[in-house]
Amino acid sequence: MADNEVKQLISHLDTLKPSTLTQAPQLLSRAKLALLKLHALVPGAQTSPQHLLLAATVLEYGALISIRLKDTDAFTRYYQQLQPFYSLPAERWNSRVGKPSNQSKVTGLYLLLLLSVGDYAGFHTVLEGLEMSAGKEQMEKDQFIQYPVRLEQALMEGSYDKVWGETKGERVPSEEFGVFSEVLITTIRSEIASCSERAYPSLPISNAKNLLFLDSEGAVVQFAQSRGWVAKDGRIYFPQQEEEMLAAEKDVMSSSGMVIENTLGYARKLETIV
Amino acid sequence: MADKMDVDAVNGEKSQETVGPAPDLPAERIITNNFHLINQAVQAFDARFTLRALRNISTIRKAPNFPEAIAIAIRTAFPKPTNNARRVLETMLPEQYKNVQNGETGDGLKDPDIVEVAEVWAYLGVLVQVYLYDTKQYKKGAQFSDNFVEKVRSFNRRTMDSIGAKAYFYYALFHENLDPKPPSKQSPAIAIRPTLLAALRSAVLRKDAETQSAVTVLLLRNYISTADITQADLLVAQTHFPASAANNQVCRYLYYLGRIRAIQLAYTQAHAHLESATRKSPTTGPAAGFYQQATKLLIVVELLMGDIPTRTLFRQPALEAALYPYFKLVQAVRVGDLDAYLKCVSANEAQFRQDGTYTLTLRLRQNVIKTGVRMLSLSYSRISLRDICTRLNISSEESAEYITAKAIRDGVIEASLDHQQGHLVTTPAKDAYSTTEPSEAFHMRIEALLGMRDECVMAMRYPMNKHRQEIAEAAKARERERELAKEIIEGEGDEEGDEGQFEGM
Repeated sequence: MADNEVKQLISHLDTLKPSTLTQAPQLLSRAKLALLKLHALVPGAQTSPQHLLLAATVLEYGALISIRLKDTDAFTRYYQQLQPFYSLPAERWNSRVGKPSNQSKVTGLYLLLLLSVGDYAGFHTVLEGLEMSAGKEQMEKDQFIQYPVRLEQALMEGSYDKVWGETKGERVPSEEFGVFSEVLITTIRSEIASCSERAYPSLPISNAKNLLFLDSEGAVVQFAQSRGWVAKDGRIYFPQQEEEMLAAEKDVMSSSGMVIENTLGYARKLETIV
Repeated sequence: MADKMDVDAVNGEKSQETVGPAPDLPAERIITNNFHLINQAVQAFDARFTLRALRNISTIRKAPNFPEAIAIAIRTAFPKPTNNARRVLETMLPEQYKNVQNGETGDGLKDPDIVEVAEVWAYLGVLVQVYLYDTKQYKKGAQFSDNFVEKVRSFNRRTMDSIGAKAYFYYALFHENLDPKPPSKQSPAIAIRPTLLAALRSAVLRKDAETQSAVTVLLLRNYISTADITQADLLVAQTHFPASAANNQVCRYLYYLGRIRAIQLAYTQAHAHLESATRKSPTTGPAAGFYQQATKLLIVVELLMGDIPTRTLFRQPALEAALYPYFKLVQAVRVGDLDAYLKCVSANEAQFRQDGTYTLTLRLRQNVIKTGVRMLSLSYSRISLRDICTRLNISSEESAEYITAKAIRDGVIEASLDHQQGHLVTTPAKDAYSTTEPSEAFHMRIEALLGMRDECVMAMRYPMNKHRQEIAEAAKARERERELAKEIIEGEGDEEGDEGQFEGM
């Protein structure tokens, strides 16, 4: 009975239109209740392949839908719940019934999520695990995994134009990944801004438009104001540099305090040793 | 008799140390001698004797008649063939040794008090584990170890701690070698985690530092082998590594800790851990492999931090051959040659993968680029972005501009960009002595030295009850003094008395 209910709910989830997506969480919680009745929400030793597949499918739907709804907390929860399913041995999946199909997609999305919140440590930890369990060939073929990996590399080395290119329409492997494009662009924009502050003495507004991937000069001026830059005579000046110079001078003043502290520390240590 | 045997045991061991790999005692004699050491350890409640007994396992296992020697030793320890403990051990040995007569080692038979000690049984169990491991009987060994560690744990004797730690070590080793091997998620190595965790818990409760440290290290190794870095990290966060652990365990622990931190991009911490691991580890003998492995990881972490390891590191005889791929890698990173770096990584991929440093070396890409930018900015006071592209093999000028801008922000180079002209202009270097840098470098060195001194002080061994002895001696000395004083007073009195008598006479 619960079997059929889950199947029905899955087909219902499948036919959901973007406009009715908000119903999804309700359907999902009903599906999860049904799975609980089947003892399949967490894979046990006795769970049959059919039930395993049902459970994994529901959870994958949950993960993908919560991404579309931009509910990252729910997505992380679904991702964690899916892990025991993904680490099951191949024999547990009946060849007739099949395996859950969206493993790499969900993992890729999780990597992208970690990247977009700037959790590089978590990103590399997950990647290390993938490298170990899947092997290199499989990983290099997998476009869903390769996408965040490419992005991370470009971000780390600073080729922000590559990141910008990757977030454009056709380079994004699936529509769920597109959700992060916006976040990523905001991230790189603020990165570029902080780089520009240090790298350029001043910058013409028209050039800044291209550099920051903004649409119009008006947007540039707005962005400049939000960061506290001064736009004058068609150029942008970065006041931060001068402030930093002042701060550096102040630093020398405060560093004398540190020198005294250190010297006292040495004296105390010397006392204990001698 | 027992005393004489003790002397023998000590002598036997000493001669082994001097002679080296060729012991002049037959293996069975060494084992039976070790019984006495263990017995002594139990009586004196001093783990050092047990450690001494365990130390020559590496010598005995190389003996040609190793299984036979174990069989004889078992017979010596448990003369009654119906003894249950004896049968458990014997079933693990090959058939032909079961009927060896124990007449040859008649002298080991006498004192029954040495043989009925549980520690001796556990010691023999470890020897059996070693034998099974050397003959690659992993399945049998795993089964035997399952029961064996359970039994060892149930004894709950502090004098058995160091033997128990060894038992767990082989227990984990057997399970790791069962198919499918660790990177797979179905490895039997994963199934032993609960046992190890339980062992860790009991070890902590019993204040058994030996087993605690050994099992912590085994768990970390286990987690890392299946790339469960998060779990390993949690374990480190939740447990406390005993300060009194043996040096070897500390080395391993630091190595695994360094590995976890390196994966989590905490390079400074990783570097500190790995550096102490390599400094603490023995550099020759059977531990050379560990030293090499730790050094490899240390080199990659150093590169990731933007440092270049010194050339002398690669010249050490124990490292030279093993580190060759890493040497090439360092060369490529040092000059910022992206091509050479990519070539080096793809050529040595198998090696890096085996060392578990592959993903780390992949992260070096940005460092190579940064070094390249730095080299250019050092050599040119003004260079066009187009030239940077061609020199560093960057696909477009826009990328080059962003990359240099990031390098400036990260403080890799002191320069500024001219967007309209497409130039990178290097600002002349400031006088380093006008900044706080020298004092910071000085502070760091002093800190390191002070830290080393503190560690040295902590590493010293203070024998138990030594101070009590001193107190007793002091008390005795005081007693003597008092007696002396009393005698003097009495002597004076006597003399007076004598004089008095004299006068009287």
